[in-house]
Amino acid sequence: MRVGILAGGLALGIVAYRTQVDNVLVETNARALAQVVSGWAFLVAGLVAWSRRPSNRMGPLMVACCFALLARQLRYAHDEATFTTFFVFGEIGYALVAQTVLAYPSGIVRDRLEVLFVRVSYTVVIAFPVAILLFYDGTRPLRNFYAGPRKDYLGVFNGGQVALTLQDVYAVTAYGVLASIFIVLIVRKLARAAPRSRRIMAPLILAAVLAAMRAVFDSVLTFSSRPPAIVADNLFWWQIAALTALPIALLIGLLRARLAQGSVGDLVVRLERAPANEIRDELAEALGDPTLDVALWLPDRREFVDEKGRPVALPEDGPERAVTKLEHEGEPLAALVHDPGLREEPEVLAGATAAARLALENARLQAELLAQLAKVKESRSRLVAAADEERRRIERNLHDGLQQRLVAIALDARSAQRRLGRDADPEVARVLDGLADETQIAVRELRELAHGIHPAILTEGGLAAALASLASRAPVPVRLHTINERFAAEIEAAAYFVAAEALTNVAKHAQANGATLSARHENSTLMVEVGDDGVGGASPDRGSGLRGLIDRVEAHGGRVRIESEPGEGTRVIGEIPCGS
Amino acid sequence: MRLVIAEDSVLMREGLARVLTEGGFEVVAQAGNAEELQEAVRRWKPDVAIVDVRMPPTQTSEGAQAAQEIRSEHPEVGVLLLSQVIEATHAVALVSERPEGFGYLLKDRVLEIDDFYDAVRRVGEGGTAIDAEVIAQLVRRRDSEGPLDELTPRERDVLELMAEGLSNGGICRRLFLSPKTIETHVNNIFLKLRLAQAPDDHRRVLAVLAFLRS
Repeated sequence: MRVGILAGGLALGIVAYRTQVDNVLVETNARALAQVVSGWAFLVAGLVAWSRRPSNRMGPLMVACCFALLARQLRYAHDEATFTTFFVFGEIGYALVAQTVLAYPSGIVRDRLEVLFVRVSYTVVIAFPVAILLFYDGTRPLRNFYAGPRKDYLGVFNGGQVALTLQDVYAVTAYGVLASIFIVLIVRKLARAAPRSRRIMAPLILAAVLAAMRAVFDSVLTFSSRPPAIVADNLFWWQIAALTALPIALLIGLLRARLAQGSVGDLVVRLERAPANEIRDELAEALGDPTLDVALWLPDRREFVDEKGRPVALPEDGPERAVTKLEHEGEPLAALVHDPGLREEPEVLAGATAAARLALENARLQAELLAQLAKVKESRSRLVAAADEERRRIERNLHDGLQQRLVAIALDARSAQRRLGRDADPEVARVLDGLADETQIAVRELRELAHGIHPAILTEGGLAAALASLASRAPVPVRLHTINERFAAEIEAAAYFVAAEALTNVAKHAQANGATLSARHENSTLMVEVGDDGVGGASPDRGSGLRGLIDRVEAHGGRVRIESEPGEGTRVIGEIPCGS
Repeated sequence: MRLVIAEDSVLMREGLARVLTEGGFEVVAQAGNAEELQEAVRRWKPDVAIVDVRMPPTQTSEGAQAAQEIRSEHPEVGVLLLSQVIEATHAVALVSERPEGFGYLLKDRVLEIDDFYDAVRRVGEGGTAIDAEVIAQLVRRRDSEGPLDELTPRERDVLELMAEGLSNGGICRRLFLSPKTIETHVNNIFLKLRLAQAPDDHRRVLAVLAFLRS
């Protein structure tokens, strides 16, 4: 079929050339030839586009432009039927070119404003020629129609000058007003396009603006009665150049999208080597869409996540962003959120996603793992927080319940002892004394126990007060540098227990003369550090105290460092992220 | 001596009241929370309010807050705080603010009944009572080297009792020593620590505490 179209287009070109040469008496045949060549540019570009992108409507549209532009030249014929037909329908070519440009790259005009513009354009380019012919009496030549007047079938009114006036009005309306609106629409289209589309639109914009400008100038020249020949000449060649560049630019744009597909083979190789977090970059590169986002489907959680396993919300598939979902054996695998321009290039998208399928499946497994890890981390930190809360509760219960009762009992024993006075049976007095003494010891032990479980001062006075208390209880002198800032209870508890455990170790193992205890807030991290001048050689493997401490700090996403060379003292540094 | 007792545990409160009554004190009112305490102090103007630091509703420091308010609104009323735990730094800060008629003791000190009577009486007479545990913590920290090492063990005992707020007479009774001996010890301590002799017991407490904290 395309061979037929090519032959038809070439033949029409020849007819158009002959019609011009025979009827217009232009100075050079070169001009006639140029007109035909620009039409053929549309034909060739259209056919190439059509064969490369069969599903895209741009090819057929461009071919149609060729036929319409060539057919327009037939209006110069002196034959009554030919003149009437092609004078009325010849201008459709320009509206068709405008439509083609606005339809790029999909081949369909979607924007409401652009659709309206195309409709108005078609109405204007048909209504005006009809009106002109209605008033044309065939006595004088029409503007731009050399070699004498023509006869037509439509001349009903004896209009005289009216037809020529209408011709001027038409030039202003079609080439002035509509072309200006066309430029505005093109600029708007460019401004709205995503970066990827913008890149392949650039040559098209150039050609469209050139064409539109020519039209504007043409309409301006309508008002100067005899435009200088040099100006008219330049305008003519400008039009031809623009009109010839336009289909070429359209074709380049369409083929560049197509060329991206050529890199799909490379993509397979590159994706095989790429780590999961670079899959997006490789795909973005291959698709030429820097705005691309990749979301992976987690079947267990029934939601989309990013490559780190964090949940993401997919945007609506619409004019702003397009969403392409990939499936694997009926289950969703991943979704690409991309430039809507890519929607018009399904082959490119299909090629790239086919290449990325294996890599995406791997990435999904990894994301799943990371998501699970995040969950485990969360529950670990919740467990520690719950344990802290429980410790606080136990401490309070010990103090307010048990300890209180014990003191009251001992007090009663003391009171009884005193009431009995000197007359008491010495055995009874001894029992009461022992009761009171033992209870008092129990109270003290209970206090120590409660303090170890969760010091009241940490809840009531905060980290600074609790660290000061620690320092004052330590058996070696402790130099203290602390901050008065308050942190979340679990953060303060973690920091406190690091310091407490480290100071306990100083007392037990370090044989130190002195220690330092400091807390500071740096880069969203609470740093607590205990140093001593003792024998060193401490290790988390020795004794479960440090190990438990490290677990506690890691549960909050922090870490504990222990620097303890033999003979050089020990430094225990806890780093706990505190969020601000 | 007239007392108000604020303590939320009924068992403890009544035990305290009984022991104090037996000791010759007059317990004019008992309070179960901070509000009742304030009301009782306003009404009875006692010599001493004995206050549990932790009281309802939050069981954290309602008692301590109420005590602070009483100290500023009724400076003539002595306040003796009882607590399950004592933080040395906090206790010293409270005493340093105003040592007159103030005491801060661990709750189980009430079991050493005679010493407790003495502490209540001291506070009621405008003196000071600081828990031995607080002093022990301070001394421990100062211990490593320096002038404290020059003290004899007996002088050290005297120093700690001075820091608790005891007068010379009180120290005599506690250590079963003669007033003359105590006076000698006190003079020696001030000499060895290079402290100026304080004109009264309050300032003596402050001077000794300041030394221990430095």
